[in-house]
Amino acid sequence: MSAEAAVPGIRERSTIRRNARLRHSTVAVAWLGLPVAWVLVFILAPYLVNIYFSLGSSEDYAFNPGFSLANYQRIVTVQPYASVLINSTRIGALTALIACLIGYPVALTTAFGLESSRSRFVVQLLIMLPWWASYLVKAYAWRTILGSKGLINSSLIHLGIITKPLGFLLYNEFSVVLTLTYIFTPLATLSILNQLERIPVSLIEAASNFGATRLEVFTRIVLPISLPGVLTGAIITFALSFGDFIAPALLGGSHSLMISSVILAQLGVANDRAMAAAIAMLIVAVAFLLIILMKRLERSSAIQV
Amino acid sequence: MAETTAHRNPAIRTVNLRRTFATPAGQIAAVDGVDITVDDGEFVCLLGPSGCGKTTVLRMLAGLEEPSDGQIFVHGENVTFRSTADRSVRMMFQDFALFPHMTVAQNVLFGLSIRRMREKVSKTDAVKRAANYLAMVGLSDYHDRRPHQLSGGQRQRVALARALATDPPIVLFDESLSALDAGLRRQMQSELRRLQRDLGKTFVFVTHDQNEAMTMSDRIAIMHKGKIAQYGTPSEIYDHPNSVYVANFMGTTNLLRGRVERVERGDLAIRTSTGEIFVSPGDGAVGDEVTVMFRADGARLRLTAERSANNSVDTVVTNIAFLGPRIEYELTANDGTQIQVHTPATEGRRFLPGSPVSVAVPSEALRVLHH
Repeated sequence: MSAEAAVPGIRERSTIRRNARLRHSTVAVAWLGLPVAWVLVFILAPYLVNIYFSLGSSEDYAFNPGFSLANYQRIVTVQPYASVLINSTRIGALTALIACLIGYPVALTTAFGLESSRSRFVVQLLIMLPWWASYLVKAYAWRTILGSKGLINSSLIHLGIITKPLGFLLYNEFSVVLTLTYIFTPLATLSILNQLERIPVSLIEAASNFGATRLEVFTRIVLPISLPGVLTGAIITFALSFGDFIAPALLGGSHSLMISSVILAQLGVANDRAMAAAIAMLIVAVAFLLIILMKRLERSSAIQV
Repeated sequence: MAETTAHRNPAIRTVNLRRTFATPAGQIAAVDGVDITVDDGEFVCLLGPSGCGKTTVLRMLAGLEEPSDGQIFVHGENVTFRSTADRSVRMMFQDFALFPHMTVAQNVLFGLSIRRMREKVSKTDAVKRAANYLAMVGLSDYHDRRPHQLSGGQRQRVALARALATDPPIVLFDESLSALDAGLRRQMQSELRRLQRDLGKTFVFVTHDQNEAMTMSDRIAIMHKGKIAQYGTPSEIYDHPNSVYVANFMGTTNLLRGRVERVERGDLAIRTSTGEIFVSPGDGAVGDEVTVMFRADGARLRLTAERSANNSVDTVVTNIAFLGPRIEYELTANDGTQIQVHTPATEGRRFLPGSPVSVAVPSEALRVLHH
């Protein structure tokens, strides 16, 4: 400081620099302001409104403002909410498990079976191809395939294997899990593939150079290193299936199988706005917790060679 | 019995080793007929610029790449078509290839913990051995660290301990020190050399750094376009290069093209663009197109007035670099030929840029290279 004061001119120059910084920061605030405003208006505000509703109560189809956690308590303790919650968790977990079991071998052969990066890219495109079609269309397609006059039943009847259509194919947990698995397996596959592709070839060469068999290379090197990718894929698949609305609505049958359908029932049939808001917040909370878990995994899975 | 066999048979012998790759431009031979013999307990460097095929040779020795043609013998056994897992040849990878999800101790233990080794070495012995080798490379306090918590030099040591822990007779190194900074690199060079001697193992080391090769090797194989250009001890290669390529690759070299004018009792008189040069004794016949070579440190600088009659070139000093122990002169001859001369700094006389000096080359410092 004293040296600065002793030399005339230095202070002036630093003032100029400070002004320049100030102008820079004005621009920065303007630039940051837009996304901040976006987050406030379209994300934070709706959540706050929803939380406000979830803390109130509904009586005679009218909403009463309040400040109570009674709705949240009801979700956990009162039927059918609790069992629907368990249903959703089970269906989400089952979907995540099957998606990873199917996705892993696909990712493994893509990552290590294909020599050129171009063919790997083509396979990745093919994996994502179903995502270019609308979810709704794909869910309807499954209904057509599984229905009593659908592809499977009419073929089996035509072949004389069965005389009456098989009823267990549609409007139950099986058809919901099947559709959700079909929809979300590509995401799990790509998550696993992404992690497998980060394994340097030299690790595999080193392991086999030490005399490891192919199985040992897989169990001791490839699988442990790819595990964070599997977990990330499972979390994405679980979160998306847990809160899914379309599959249970189209293929789940008349009973409310999953939590999202219950929200609709609360709003459209029971007209219990407060309860609907509480259930919605629960789904958001689950998703939020899973995202935090995923970030943790990502940080610990970075391969530093 | 095993020892005598090992003595009689070289550790590694390759016969007409070839590796071709299909490219859009056609077949390219990365390795084009390599015959090399590495004796038991020898330290050999494969030296050459990038793309000369040295790493491909190493990967074929390790069994990580299949030869297109030729054979590989390890201690007399034909291993050409054996998988890398079935060879007693360990590879040190350029990126160290440490397993990121294992600790340092687990990495070193890896080679001993795989199934086929578990039958030979008990768990307690393996742990003891791993600890010994970690101590040998000076990393006893790092057992529980992860690879990403280590410096480049430490990772290098872990990889070395991991390779040596399985007690392989042959270890291959793929540019293993290139990731380290100069100081650490020199330290590792002498450490590797010491380890190799103490453990009596055969090391084959791929590098593009001639100093590294000179420092460590018993023998150096200089590679050029998939072939071995010259194979010999460091001094053989430095003092008696067999081609312009090898001469240029090792040390700072001056090359003068010329033609043999006269041959007298084994002495050659060669006409070059900078004057006549006598080589005694020299190999050649009248009319041969040859290159006369001398090292930058093989010549002396004199004042033009003092010059001796034979083998001196009149030049002017164009640049000087003072490097502590030596001074490097860049000189230009009358016809424009650039000449490099290094003189010990202890030598009293120094010349300034622009001074006319004559480069005197003693006869024994001259080599005649044929085309």
